[in-house]
Amino acid sequence: MKAAIRSSALARIFLVAGFGVAFSAMPANAQKAGGSITFGLELDIPGFDVLKVGVFDTSAGTAAAALFDTLTYLDDKGVVQPKLALSWTPSEDFKTWTFKLRPGVKFHDGTPFNAKAFKENFDRQKDPANKCRCAFYIAFVNSVEATDELTVVYNLKDPSVNLPAIVSFPSGNNSVQSPTAWKTKGDDYNRNPVGTGPYILKSWAAGDRMVLEKNPDYWNKGRPYLDRIVLKPLPDAQSRFASLQSGEADIIWDDEFDADNIMKAQKDPKLAVHTYVGSGAQVYAFNTKVAPFDDVRVRQALVMALDRKKMSQAITNGLAKPATNPYGEGSWVKCKDDGALPEDLEKAKALIKDYGKPVDFKMLVTATPRGRNVGQVLQQFWKRAGANMEIEQVDQATIPPRAFMRQFQLTPWRIIDLADPDVQMYANFRTGSPVALANYSNPELDNLLERARTTADVNKRIEDYCAVSRIINKEAIWFWTFQNTYYALSSAKLKGLPKMYSGVIDVSNTWLE
Amino acid sequence: MLLFVARRLLYLIPVLIAVSLLTFFIASLLPGDLAYVILGDQATPENVAALRKDMGLDQPVWIRYFGWLGNILQGDFGRSFRTGQTVLQAVTERLPVSFELMILAEITGLVIGVPLAIVCAARSGSAFDRFMTGSAFAMLSVPAFLSAILLIYLFAVELRWLPATGYVPFTEDPAANLRFMVLPALTLALAEWPGIMRVLRSDMIATLQEDYIALAKAKGLKASRILFVHALKPSSLTLVTITGINIGRLIGGAVIVETIFALPGLGRLLVGAIYTRDLIILQGVVLLVAAGFVIMNFIVDLLYAVLDPRIRHGHA
Repeated sequence: MKAAIRSSALARIFLVAGFGVAFSAMPANAQKAGGSITFGLELDIPGFDVLKVGVFDTSAGTAAAALFDTLTYLDDKGVVQPKLALSWTPSEDFKTWTFKLRPGVKFHDGTPFNAKAFKENFDRQKDPANKCRCAFYIAFVNSVEATDELTVVYNLKDPSVNLPAIVSFPSGNNSVQSPTAWKTKGDDYNRNPVGTGPYILKSWAAGDRMVLEKNPDYWNKGRPYLDRIVLKPLPDAQSRFASLQSGEADIIWDDEFDADNIMKAQKDPKLAVHTYVGSGAQVYAFNTKVAPFDDVRVRQALVMALDRKKMSQAITNGLAKPATNPYGEGSWVKCKDDGALPEDLEKAKALIKDYGKPVDFKMLVTATPRGRNVGQVLQQFWKRAGANMEIEQVDQATIPPRAFMRQFQLTPWRIIDLADPDVQMYANFRTGSPVALANYSNPELDNLLERARTTADVNKRIEDYCAVSRIINKEAIWFWTFQNTYYALSSAKLKGLPKMYSGVIDVSNTWLE
Repeated sequence: MLLFVARRLLYLIPVLIAVSLLTFFIASLLPGDLAYVILGDQATPENVAALRKDMGLDQPVWIRYFGWLGNILQGDFGRSFRTGQTVLQAVTERLPVSFELMILAEITGLVIGVPLAIVCAARSGSAFDRFMTGSAFAMLSVPAFLSAILLIYLFAVELRWLPATGYVPFTEDPAANLRFMVLPALTLALAEWPGIMRVLRSDMIATLQEDYIALAKAKGLKASRILFVHALKPSSLTLVTITGINIGRLIGGAVIVETIFALPGLGRLLVGAIYTRDLIILQGVVLLVAAGFVIMNFIVDLLYAVLDPRIRHGHA
């Protein structure tokens, strides 16, 4: 009990101090084996066949982290550690990476895990005939070769200095599945996944409980600790939290829009709040080819007119953390100077006055209560600066096509939490890329992006990415409001939750005190 | 009677066709391109065009409608693009949950509503009658999402008598199943009993004015016998109708209740299909539910005829 109170108090201190720390990962007491937990997910999991589901969402990610293994994982310091791969070496130009695999690993169905099985996973995703949505995320890989029983070689299109970190995320791409299983089960494989992970799928009722049992033959002896994990989709935020309070769930997914319950949990000695501030941010892109955003003064004025603290207070009770660059606290890119424009209403007014013409524009807003809420707050900020924003409510699914066809003036977007900024920064800001939504071209920016992706020296890359941030902030082609922050609420007895990289809540190595 | 049934069955056909048309066109009016939904944020225009062609999305909407209808007539309702499940598989997995919920809610509603109605009708105008009519009106105005949360806080969080969320199949553990079902069924029933009570009460008051009731009283029959045996059946015609219509309302209520209590029923399937743009599941489920509703009303019509011979013989 005392320990529980202490950890909850610590949670509060960390939050107040502004550190996103999974404090339960602090030096732990003795890990205890046995027991069972129930996890309250946000959504129904559609399945695990990557050809069918394309990508894993955060709910599927939690299950995937228990069912499957990846080549590597990130420890709580962000350092890449071996999992299915024992070691890795890059070529001089970082366009070829060789991974040595762990011997003696078997899938749950007895199929041996080896270089051939790994290659089959990759080829299946890459094959154009399979039209996998997942193929986008491996577009930077030309091929994977199995050079011997336990060696795989990645041949990359472009150099990547951070590949071992990129493949650590338990995504649809990186989770290694049993080729025998998907070949023999066909359409049924989606709901009967087979991996090498610490847990085996025991049963799964559609829309209801998924029961995972400890894998007795797991390669990592002594792991996992829990005998059983039950995953249940609890789609309603209030009843999900009530289930945690009443003890039916031991851990639940949450987000900052559920601020009231998160704050309640912080005050409850029986509960623990886990939070992680990742890389990336909630972002917005101006279309710089259409008026009034073809004028940098207007763009700068709108960014300066923001008051992110007030906005955070209005929509998330102050939980959302302001962002001044696209990298975030969870990224290894830390900038002394990211070139963020000041939040200065008077300057914003002056810039709009200087522009001389009326500033009227439309912004795409998702037609959800949250989307509208954010839109209205922005509308108020900009009104004070003398700009009239009209909210155009659209369905979430229409934003990507509108964005790609550049049929917008201002659109919301997102930079997700990945281990390396390269893939997204290059796609979002390199001249001519389909996702370079601002339609902005700057040779200096292009050069920096090219150089940062091919440099091995981390400090030099940080310098380049900070220079990138300074250009984007100064030109105000995109702006950032809040950092990607992830939440899990749990019983104070649940220990050993690692950092929630990319928002995945991995309970596969937790234990009950 | 057979002729009556046959005629009613014939009426079903245009109704079902209208339902299928509405379902399909409303679903195709939903904003957002299915191809983008499937391919994701990072789709290239070429991939999208190819997939649209593959799925026939480049065809005019009426051609797609007839294609869909043709498949349905052959028993093929299609397959979810997300899970690979067929519509029929998904529905048969989820139907028992919603069905049980609806039956339990309806029974609970009747158990609360019918006795109250009889007591109120027998003492119409009394303080108890006025109080119950007032509370019925108040309960009618409480939305399900509010009563659900209040019930959860009271019975699950504070008292810890019942679970807040979850489900166990009846076949696996009947006792546990019922424990999980109490709060969801009660939530729905709380919105059901006021209607039941008010309708039955006013019908019953009218029946109690009839001459044969006066005769029964004169013969010295017990008041309870008069109320339950002589007055209840003739007063229950409207009750049967609203019980039938309520099934439709309960399907609507189930969408909310199943989401809050995390029951894996049809309502959750529908909500999920809407969020994920799983149009094939959406259209199929809405059509099947609508067909179920239409058939339910058909059964109500038949029950009417059983209860009131005038309808059966076409004199009504």
